[in-house]
Amino acid sequence: MDTDQAPFLTTSTQGIDMIEGDITLPSNRTNSNELSTLDEPVLDTIKRDLGAVFRKFGYAVIPRHSSTLLQQWDLWGPLILVTTLAILLQSNATKSSAGAQFAEVFTLMLIGSIAVTVNSQLLGGKISFFQSVCVLGYCLLPLLLSAFVNNILLYIPTKSTISILHIIRFLVVMAAYAWTMYASVQFLGQTQQPNRRMLVLYPIFLFYFLIAWLIILHAHPK
Amino acid sequence: MFSDDGFLSEKFSNQSPSQTHIFTSFPNSAVDPDDDDLSTDNKPANNLSYEYNPSNSQPSSLPLPATANTSKDEQFHIWQLEYYQTYFQIDTQQVIERLLASMTPRPNKSYFDSTIRQNPDLYGPFWVCITFIITVAVSGNILTYFYVPDADFQIDFSKITLSAIFICFYWWLMPTCIYFFFRWHLKRIEYTFVELLCVYGYSLTIFIPISILWMISISWLQWLLTILGSVISGSVLIVTFWPTINSDRQRFNALSMLLMLFLHLAMAISIMLVFFHVSDKNIPTRNPTTLLTTVIPSVKNQI
Repeated sequence: MDTDQAPFLTTSTQGIDMIEGDITLPSNRTNSNELSTLDEPVLDTIKRDLGAVFRKFGYAVIPRHSSTLLQQWDLWGPLILVTTLAILLQSNATKSSAGAQFAEVFTLMLIGSIAVTVNSQLLGGKISFFQSVCVLGYCLLPLLLSAFVNNILLYIPTKSTISILHIIRFLVVMAAYAWTMYASVQFLGQTQQPNRRMLVLYPIFLFYFLIAWLIILHAHPK
Repeated sequence: MFSDDGFLSEKFSNQSPSQTHIFTSFPNSAVDPDDDDLSTDNKPANNLSYEYNPSNSQPSSLPLPATANTSKDEQFHIWQLEYYQTYFQIDTQQVIERLLASMTPRPNKSYFDSTIRQNPDLYGPFWVCITFIITVAVSGNILTYFYVPDADFQIDFSKITLSAIFICFYWWLMPTCIYFFFRWHLKRIEYTFVELLCVYGYSLTIFIPISILWMISISWLQWLLTILGSVISGSVLIVTFWPTINSDRQRFNALSMLLMLFLHLAMAISIMLVFFHVSDKNIPTRNPTTLLTTVIPSVKNQI
């Protein structure tokens, strides 16, 4: 029995070693040091996480090739951006419809992200669900900035239906839309093989187009 | 089916003296380095035949060993993503080709046979429907934006949901009806359900530019676009289905084709009327108030 088990055990322990080697992350910290982040002061944790979020904002605004956004995904950035966008897009808010309008933007964002990710996975892309939601959310930053500008420009009174102000607003939002598309193409376009890239990028195009349309047609409550 | 040791199966039906022994099933641990010897000339002791076939996909057999290549025949379930991946094996070039072919009816050549038959995909139809829904909702909202003063305009989200329900319903209902019609009335199963979905989805392509052009608020132009669009896409549908329907010499051939075309036209007309039609009744706020203000003084004068 023992002689039977001894070779069996050796092979299996070798197997366990190999598995251990594969699943430890290639980071500087060993297992014992990871526990120390539980003991650090809360301010340190917040500063580190906020730093990561702002760094990702930087990547979204100036897209350069890095794997940070994809590998270390987090959903704080998308949450902040979508909440701010939903607040900015409230118009003519009566008590009852304000909640509904807020939820509409959220729902659009959620369903859009799910649709884009499932589409990308079905076409054979190597991206997970939350990575895709993370990238889509972070790349929303230029459109959010254009919504700010839009709201400010709406304070200038205008009389006719189509005036120069409408055109400026339209151009600003379109510029932000192009910027957003460029950023997300940089990140998400690389995850797909070249002959299917347009098929993956087209739903992203539709998704941001819907959000840009919401921003353009937003009017102030009077 | 299984013998006592649990991994052999017997097949008496296709036994022949010259048949080499092929394995039907064996357990996972049966990694046998000398497989080649077994395949040729060992007579089984108890009259079983062994069938070794890498692409064997009997559902009752044990899974093949890890060394066999199982590229094609894993049975995916409906809740696994890989089940649907088979319907998305398509490239950009092929999608563009199918989109263009669905907008140009050619009398003799059915594009279905040449392009879709080998590889029905769900990417094209799904995203064509979604794009159609979005363009209808966006254009409808923009149209009302130009007719309502800036302060009163509110984005009508109910338009999106309404158009989504209607268009998706149409996209699924018509292939279902046609599938059952072919299966029970004509008793021919020539098209799978996915192929029908594919054809119907692509046939909605031409309505996307038409729904953007529907924003131009000239009434006769809207009607013209509607009829033109539904005739073109309806004729593509007719060209696709005509060979099947015509082959049986039933009474309802032409009638069923006309019915399909009529339903297509009805769908286009109803979308146009609900979302886009600019008649005197639909233009809000401005005209009725001016009418009222002119009516009231005249009534006052009469009293």
